[in-house]
Amino acid sequence: MNNLEKYNKAFMEILNVAELDLESLEYQKISAWDSVGHMQLIAALEDIFDIMFDTDDIIDFSSYVKGKELIAKYGVTI
Amino acid sequence: MEKRLEGKNVIITGARKGIGRASVELFAKNGANIWACAKKFDTKFEMEMYHLAEQYKVWIKPVYFDLADENAISTALYNIIKEKEPIDILINNAAVSYGTMLGMMPISKIRQLFDVNFFAQLQMIQIIAKAMIKNKQGAIINLASVSGMEVYIGNLAYGASKAAVIYATKQLSKEYAPYGIRINAVAPGVVHTDMDQTRTEEQMREVLERTALKRGAQPEEIAKAILFLASEEASYITGSILVVDGGRIDF
Repeated sequence: MNNLEKYNKAFMEILNVAELDLESLEYQKISAWDSVGHMQLIAALEDIFDIMFDTDDIIDFSSYVKGKELIAKYGVTI
Repeated sequence: MEKRLEGKNVIITGARKGIGRASVELFAKNGANIWACAKKFDTKFEMEMYHLAEQYKVWIKPVYFDLADENAISTALYNIIKEKEPIDILINNAAVSYGTMLGMMPISKIRQLFDVNFFAQLQMIQIIAKAMIKNKQGAIINLASVSGMEVYIGNLAYGASKAAVIYATKQLSKEYAPYGIRINAVAPGVVHTDMDQTRTEEQMREVLERTALKRGAQPEEIAKAILFLASEEASYITGSILVVDGGRIDF
């Protein structure tokens, strides 16, 4: 599984969304991506990519697309 | 003997002495593996941890970092998380004590005390809870103090820091409950540790006089309360402050 597939899988499993809906997905735009879902997602991504997000990046992680950009800061290319 | 924490993995700060040291021994005796956190490398401590691990057939890994250093905390915890062992229990035990009247206390000293007693606890929870979230379970025990519940002269910095711990414990228990993480605190009264040497003899006499059991606790007696809150026996307890003070605080 490549990094994009891992990234997508985390979103789909934790937020229970379809792959087709990922590109437009934003924080707090669906009920599953509330503050509780957000921390579950962050915890999963940290585990999958072996990184530890700075608190500022956890706050900035506002969408599926933005998340890709933030993860790149930790040397993970998606 | 039944091992109440068989196979559980625990982080304990302030593991070198006092309540932290007693907790390491009690948790190891109950089958838990331990990251034993202390400020500085120490051969004697290393040897003690090695022998305890051998004795109780668990692993105990000494980890060294300064709780006053935010970057050091992050690095140490990141290294623990990278081990990919589940983290089941966090014991935020380490604290420093400093007592005098406000007029004789530099504000910088109060900040330093809060860094260790309060902000480090928050940072530990912030990082370790994320690791617990993915396992959908965890138990965090913060060391508060009855000093955070009663008022006496000369106790401003320490008492305020422990009052902050009590508030944070209650508040965070609600924040982390959706992830299956329980957060509680133990609030000891007088405990016979090095930290307790900060009281004068007169102050100690006065405190023990209004303690129903008329004595201070041994660190092991506090460790037992911590163990209870960490165990399955406390599975429905979160946001509680367990007072272990020999009958000192009146409600």
